Amino acid sequence: MCSSPLSFLGGVDTATGKILDGDSDAKGMSISHKVLCFPFGKGSTVGSYAMYQLRLNDMAPAAIINSSAEPIIATGAIIADIPMVDGIDVNLLRTGDRLAVDADDASVEIIDVPEKHVVTSILKDRSKILLLQRSDRVGSYKGQWAGVSGFIENGETDDEAVRREMEEEIGSNKLRLLKHADPQRFRDGEVVWCVHPFLFEVRDPDIRTDWEHKKFEWVAPEDVAKYQTVPGLQQVVSALLYRR
Amino acid sequence: MHLTPQEERILKGEEGHGKRKALEILVALGEIYGAKRLIPIASAQVSGASFKTIGDAGIKFLEDFSSEVRVSVRASVNPLGLDLRRWRSMGVDPEFYSKQARIVAAYRSLGLEPLYSCTPYLAGNRPMAGQHLAWAESSATVFANSYLKAKTNREGGPSALAAAIIGKTPEYGLHLEENRKPRLRIDIGEIPEGLVPLAGYVVGKTAGRRIPFIKGLDLTADEHKAFGAALAATGAVSLYTYSEGKGRARTDTSEIEECISLPTSELKATEDSLKGEEDWDLVAIGCPHCSVAEIKRMARQLKGRKPRSGPDVWFCTSRKVYASCPDEVKVLKKFGKVLCDTCMVVAPIEKLYKSTASDSGKAMVYLPTLGRQRASFRSTAALLEAISR
Repeated sequence: MCSSPLSFLGGVDTATGKILDGDSDAKGMSISHKVLCFPFGKGSTVGSYAMYQLRLNDMAPAAIINSSAEPIIATGAIIADIPMVDGIDVNLLRTGDRLAVDADDASVEIIDVPEKHVVTSILKDRSKILLLQRSDRVGSYKGQWAGVSGFIENGETDDEAVRREMEEEIGSNKLRLLKHADPQRFRDGEVVWCVHPFLFEVRDPDIRTDWEHKKFEWVAPEDVAKYQTVPGLQQVVSALLYRR
Repeated sequence: MHLTPQEERILKGEEGHGKRKALEILVALGEIYGAKRLIPIASAQVSGASFKTIGDAGIKFLEDFSSEVRVSVRASVNPLGLDLRRWRSMGVDPEFYSKQARIVAAYRSLGLEPLYSCTPYLAGNRPMAGQHLAWAESSATVFANSYLKAKTNREGGPSALAAAIIGKTPEYGLHLEENRKPRLRIDIGEIPEGLVPLAGYVVGKTAGRRIPFIKGLDLTADEHKAFGAALAATGAVSLYTYSEGKGRARTDTSEIEECISLPTSELKATEDSLKGEEDWDLVAIGCPHCSVAEIKRMARQLKGRKPRSGPDVWFCTSRKVYASCPDEVKVLKKFGKVLCDTCMVVAPIEKLYKSTASDSGKAMVYLPTLGRQRASFRSTAALLEAISR
């Protein structure tokens, strides 16, 4: 796993398969016969030929995973017969993960790291949003600040899950759905959280919380960073408020 | 991306492994850039021909590939790392030559025209307006798009070769009319004599990724060649648009979002910053390769003068141009080497020289990096003055 862009020309030793790039956090690691993950390629088109050289030296990676494909790496992967999958957020991957890669199906699965789906609702009252502090009786992230969250249960869609959660925790007659953003994924240790974000407008800011939360506050969205939140909450907020 | 039944067959490998690889490259690029289909091309120009730039890995790839496929459209090759006939007098070592010879053999067996020039349009492969091409070589690409009004993206070596084999390229970027509109207007002050390449150098830096529109750009074809080469070296665009004289622009300028003016003082300041020292051990002219008109003009200026002892001199051109003005070439030869097949950017210049003067804006980008030279810009006239008395 290399979190910075990589050039195969000069950035990788084609004889040993080791990463040479001085800027890379993966410097010195071997890419040979492993799944090599990095955000995207950089550098000269000759990099494609260097990937071919790695294959001839039997030092090529087993597969390549990129956040976004660009021509040098895509071309090199083809001429060197290296399976490649793009469009995967490499920030979800860690050095040492075991991966199942299917390049034909463009899918990547992290073995032993389950993906758990949750809905998170951000409630909005004029320019403020609601943050709730999780109580000490919940199963995870005790004491951290979050939106109104809950697991999507088996066989349920995210729409059904969010309706059920809001009914249980807030009372859905008080709310109007403003937005349903694309799922956001976060890696936390041995779990990938897939968060389905929803934005609601409250008709009545006088809300009551249940046993799952010990406190709540209405805060300006830019102040979310000042709270100790569950992983990725800021990203969920910005997906709901700032992105079209 | 939509593929024809024949393309599907190639992709399944029914026409061989090499063609399948070539088409996979085109399809992968098409998908990255959102192309809907592949379109036929009139010609290809393949970069990555010098041993210096592609190395042993490139040789191996080209040799393996050439045993499986041939190009299906007109396609030519970029400059090599040496003059195939005069490499010894350049000072290139035999080991480099033997590696270079393997690349030449591989390209020949792939069926590419051995032009070994960055100016295929002066060496027999001149595209017509509106034709779709798959050209690598940034200076040729920008000339084809801007001056000749053909349509090509700036290809990499492997993608241009893949396009030459299949005879098609994915339809995206500059192949589509809507992507050829300028976003930026640049008003250049009067360009002083000899500084056209630096005007391109500054416009490229200013434009970055945006296609510029330049009003009243009155240049000869050769000046466009020098201007565009520098522009494509400092900028990431492969097209500039312009109007000539006081004439109205035929360009659609409706999407211009910014106007920047580049006064003559800025060109002068750039000239100062690229002046360098005068400790040259090489004077190199011909980036891009000299045209017949340029060779004739230089021969006229040098006629009756005597060579001055000092730095080596390279005049770089294509073999086609070299052959078509033998008398003028003879004049130039009194003052230096007239080299074909190669140039100062892709020859192993770092093994031969330390400080190079050139009249090329493009060379000012590549001499210090790829060539590890201390580089000095001078106008062509100033360089001819410096090498003669």
